[in-house]
Amino acid sequence: MNSEPHPHDRQPENDQNHPTDGAPADASPVDSTPETLQPAPKDEPRNLHPSSMLFEALKQARSLVSAAVIPGLALLFGSGLSGWVISLIIFAAVALVLFSALWGFLSWRATTYSVGGGAFYLRRGILQKNERTIPLDHVQSVDTVQGFIQRGLFAAGVLDVVEVRIETAGGGSGETDATLTALTRDDATALRREIERTRAERTGAAGGAEEEEPQPTVIRKLTTRELLVAGATSGQIGATAAILAFASQFFDNAIERFFSERFVDELVQTIAPNAFFVVVLVVFAFGLVAWLLSIAGTVLSYAGFTLSRSADGKYLNIRRGLVKRYEATVPVSRVQAIRISEGIFRQPFGLAMLRVESAGYGAEDSGVSTTLFPLIPIGEATRLLRNILPEFAVSPPLKRPPRRALRRYILRSVFPSLVLVSLAAVALTLTGVIEAFTTYYLVGAAVLVSTSALYGFAAFRAAGWAVERGCFVSRARSLARTTSIAPRRRLQSRSVVRNPFQSRLDLATIRARVASGGGGVTFEVIDIETKDAETLIPALGPNPPNAT
Amino acid sequence: MSEGGVEERPGAGASCLEPSERLDPRARTVWRINNALWAAPIVGAGCLVAFFVRLGGAPLYLWTLPVVAVLAVAVVSIFVTPALRWRRWRYEIRPDEVDLQRGIFFVTRTLVPLARIQHVDTQNGPLQRHYGLATVVFYTAAGANQIPELSAPVAADVRERIAALTKDQDEL
Repeated sequence: MNSEPHPHDRQPENDQNHPTDGAPADASPVDSTPETLQPAPKDEPRNLHPSSMLFEALKQARSLVSAAVIPGLALLFGSGLSGWVISLIIFAAVALVLFSALWGFLSWRATTYSVGGGAFYLRRGILQKNERTIPLDHVQSVDTVQGFIQRGLFAAGVLDVVEVRIETAGGGSGETDATLTALTRDDATALRREIERTRAERTGAAGGAEEEEPQPTVIRKLTTRELLVAGATSGQIGATAAILAFASQFFDNAIERFFSERFVDELVQTIAPNAFFVVVLVVFAFGLVAWLLSIAGTVLSYAGFTLSRSADGKYLNIRRGLVKRYEATVPVSRVQAIRISEGIFRQPFGLAMLRVESAGYGAEDSGVSTTLFPLIPIGEATRLLRNILPEFAVSPPLKRPPRRALRRYILRSVFPSLVLVSLAAVALTLTGVIEAFTTYYLVGAAVLVSTSALYGFAAFRAAGWAVERGCFVSRARSLARTTSIAPRRRLQSRSVVRNPFQSRLDLATIRARVASGGGGVTFEVIDIETKDAETLIPALGPNPPNAT
Repeated sequence: MSEGGVEERPGAGASCLEPSERLDPRARTVWRINNALWAAPIVGAGCLVAFFVRLGGAPLYLWTLPVVAVLAVAVVSIFVTPALRWRRWRYEIRPDEVDLQRGIFFVTRTLVPLARIQHVDTQNGPLQRHYGLATVVFYTAAGANQIPELSAPVAADVRERIAALTKDQDEL
């Protein structure tokens, strides 16, 4: 019952805090008294908030359901709704609820955490006991997240619990090292303070956690209208269409089951007497659904996007997400580069997305590459940057690759489609169906080649670079036209690349690498004048010949 | 080994002459052996394909095609590219930057400011050890760069020099 290999006895706290789920949010039902925020005595294991039973149960139920959903559906579609199938499903549902509830209770009982002796201890596991010790020196962040249900409970005024995630350095990117499913907000704050204070004591750093943190200032919020526009122009139709195509296979089966063939035939006959029209209609409907789905996806991930700055001005904070809250804190001093990305559906409307590349230090923590703001009129981008990252607020006129580089740009983009076209020609000839498809083939080939030529031209038009106020600005197109801004002192390496064809035309490609997240990103401008590249490379170095 | 001469115009080195130092001449031998080891299974696979194509009763030109193709690749990678690669590879360690030049077809000139280098390693595999060679790898926040196939003492020296020059590491 009491699975405690701990040397001293654990006080059964459970009888002090009756799981009063109806308690108002401000009364913390756990033993830490909120007015002093004194955490429980050190190295005394504490349980999570009892509501974690619910969340663990739900997690367990979800994993069981997702495991059972395929065979369950197969059973349904395979045999229809006979009486015993229904009873089987009901029985399975009841078993699932009971098992999950039991699981939730057991895992709540088995999970304890404590802080002491310079480490954070987490013990959990029902069958497989697991004890984890995290030295506080290694703790990188203590994040609090409110999931969908937790926010719902909070909004309903039932209780205010959060999930706490403790992540360590070098645990791989995004790997949470300790997750506490439910703590009251006060407990979570107390735990974080405790960890920070202990760390501060150990590292001898001055300035522990102040009792009252000054509030961050909100720089910009995404309005609902902007959110919908962002979704409508996100250009993820391709991806959603692919998912839709995959899903529609199952849909086909359903149609066959629920509509007789004759009914479908008559439906098609009445809608459109000729096949071409049906195809157009289907494609149109497909595109529309994909578009709506991509809007929904954007809304899910970017709803409530808030960009704010901490009171001391050292951190930018990004919060977004409708169901799953995403939160990122970017130290201003670690920002390596800014990218202004104008998607193909956004550029015509003068809209862009801002991204930020930030780096960690050494191998200790990895920075992030994340969205700084999802949708902003291109004219306002520089103004926003001036407000939050003045160093990056440059928008100089760009120098362009010379006219003679255009041929290489077009060749580069046409080459793959030429290969594809010739392969198709060979395949059609070998299978001997070339006569039947000649018109289609020629039209398709012409469209493909001219589209890629146009794309090459657009890439040439987009390419450019400049050096302004110590920043290297480069612009290139890979579908979206992306302008990258990186201060000279952030460039980790710079390269000039030339192949014999470029040498013959006296052209060169320049690349600059910047740290980002755990690795780096490359900014590249292809086929610029060699002499430009040769002045640019030293100009971006640590000791530029003449400071621009 | 000569100290990389300090350019009289700092930072202007990228535009004019190549970096001054070459790799160890034995690098070519090591690369040849390496490429031979890589090429052997590929040649074997080519011969196997040819054998089956011949069993299928294909004409002579068709079944010799895969053999010729893989042999050509093998011969070029063993007898031609190592020499070209070695001739192209140059490096120089200036007071402020490491300067690298490499690439047979895509000639790449890379400059890495010393202030960005976080740490330096030397590595060597069994083949390199046999020839007394080592590779210097230096890491920046945006990834690693390397100077391959230096003789072991030179590699150690380069490592120490880069390490000494990167003492004044700036913040990221």
